[in-house]
Amino acid sequence: MRNAATILIVEDDERIRNYMRTVLQSSDYAVLETGNAKTALSIVASHNPDLVILDLGLPDRDGQEILSEMRQWSRVPVVVISARGLEKDKVAALDNGADDYITKPFGTDELLARIRAALRHGRQRYEGERTVFSGNGLVVDTERRIVRVDGQPIHLTQIEYKIVTLLCRNSGKVLTHDYMIREVWGPFSNCDTQLLRVNMANIRRKIEKDPTMPEYITTEIGVGYRMIEMD
Amino acid sequence: MPRRQLGKRRERMLLFSWRDTGVTALILAGAAMLCFLMRFMGDGENYVSMVLLFAVALVSRMTSGYFYGVAAAVAGVFGVNYAFTRPYMAFCFSLTGYPLTFVTMFAVAILISGMTAQLKRQVRQNYSSRLEEMRANLLRAVSHDLRTPLTSISGAASVLSRNLGKIDENRQRALLNEISGDAEWLIRMVENLLSITRINAERASVKKVPEAAEEIVSEAVRKYRKRFDAPSAEIAMPGELIMAPMDAILIEQVITNLLENAALHAAGATWVRVTVSKRGCEAVFEVEDNGAGIEPDKLPGLFEASASSYNDSAANSRNMGIGLSVCRTIISAHGGTLTAENAPGGGARFRFTLPTEEGDTHAQCGNHTHR
Repeated sequence: MRNAATILIVEDDERIRNYMRTVLQSSDYAVLETGNAKTALSIVASHNPDLVILDLGLPDRDGQEILSEMRQWSRVPVVVISARGLEKDKVAALDNGADDYITKPFGTDELLARIRAALRHGRQRYEGERTVFSGNGLVVDTERRIVRVDGQPIHLTQIEYKIVTLLCRNSGKVLTHDYMIREVWGPFSNCDTQLLRVNMANIRRKIEKDPTMPEYITTEIGVGYRMIEMD
Repeated sequence: MPRRQLGKRRERMLLFSWRDTGVTALILAGAAMLCFLMRFMGDGENYVSMVLLFAVALVSRMTSGYFYGVAAAVAGVFGVNYAFTRPYMAFCFSLTGYPLTFVTMFAVAILISGMTAQLKRQVRQNYSSRLEEMRANLLRAVSHDLRTPLTSISGAASVLSRNLGKIDENRQRALLNEISGDAEWLIRMVENLLSITRINAERASVKKVPEAAEEIVSEAVRKYRKRFDAPSAEIAMPGELIMAPMDAILIEQVITNLLENAALHAAGATWVRVTVSKRGCEAVFEVEDNGAGIEPDKLPGLFEASASSYNDSAANSRNMGIGLSVCRTIISAHGGTLTAENAPGGGARFRFTLPTEEGDTHAQCGNHTHR
């Protein structure tokens, strides 16, 4: 089977680039690669790849800058590579329009999973608004304002419902704390992340079978929350 | 108590703080009330300066820098003169012994403020030097321990590249597994070392944000389950949400290390359980297994990362001392405590606490604090 998708790898370390190229090619992706920011931007413009993997620590320019510049004229899905402990960078990249991130050092399975998810989101963008989301027994119908788990209706407060639908509309993607607060409480609220966490704890107690091991909404420590992929 | 406040309070002589202003006002008001009370009950005048002196000493001890102590002394000196000595409600500077009161109060304020500042400095220096010592020890232990997996990785890789296809496939697979196993061990070791760099050495503190304990525990256990099939990890969480200010990445590292410790060193363990509870002003995290427990003679030095403890039988002791000493450093930097013991039913139990309130306000629930 041939994966038609073309992926651009922007990474200055040659060994990591080789490793990623090998992994991607053996999964039948077409691969473009570069080690610097300047050519990265021109390749995105000329080849229009389906996905960009961007290392934030490039020698010639700040990764965040490249990202925001790219976002001015391209909606190509971007997965950034960052290290553990640099959660601020990940949050900044997500706020700058990155679709996902992967933490160095990463394994092959993780890399491929993130790529598949990001490619799917790239395609979904053109499908228009959905009103019903479902996955693993959780069903959210935004038209009829109904949330069910395994057929059982769940009663959520107004804020809880807003949080759940926000996550559903972005299922599979990490949403940063700040983004969620802005979307749920409005841009001028001075709500802190504590209130978000309290609401999240309540949501989990209502929808998760085991709130200590959530399967629907997972925590990305230091960054935000992610809803599982919903169909 | 001063240890918790270390990170926040810079040591300046004249530093304005609402907390200190409040403390000073409260103590002085209390002293004044006491004086009035004594005066109405008759012959209070003799004790007035003692009460004020005590108040000044208290203020100096409970605030930082010299400012509030000296301010309290000035207020005390004039207050005594104005309100509590004849003539009442008027200043009179010709009282006998007045200069003496004046000088005494100032001397007490300056002396105790100085001592308080010094005490705080010392605690901090102690911690910094302990952190420094641990860094040095870690470095020694690591350089000692890094060579083993590196030798094995480069050895296995060179055997493979020279004999590719010549040795049988099972052997090749085994060598590849060794390479990835050792590489993963190195990755975890480096993550641990990088954790230490997140701690501000000078102030021995971390950047804390209120986090939900359940989220951190869930993620640590999720990652543990990906790596280890046995012993199986369980979580025991109360119904209520427990929040504590912390550096989430570091606390996740602590839980990960304790879980991994159980997986690698708890002989015969079939489960390892993470329990979170709230006691007074502390969030209490426990990681308990049903293995063979910790040998009693190893308990005292369990959290020390000394290179010498790595001399005993190679692979088994790998990472243990380093992981645990990193845990202790992280927990101390959070103002908590980390202890290890053997549970009554056998098996090891590690317990760490995190204050659930930020420094200053923790006194409010200090009464309930357990142990």
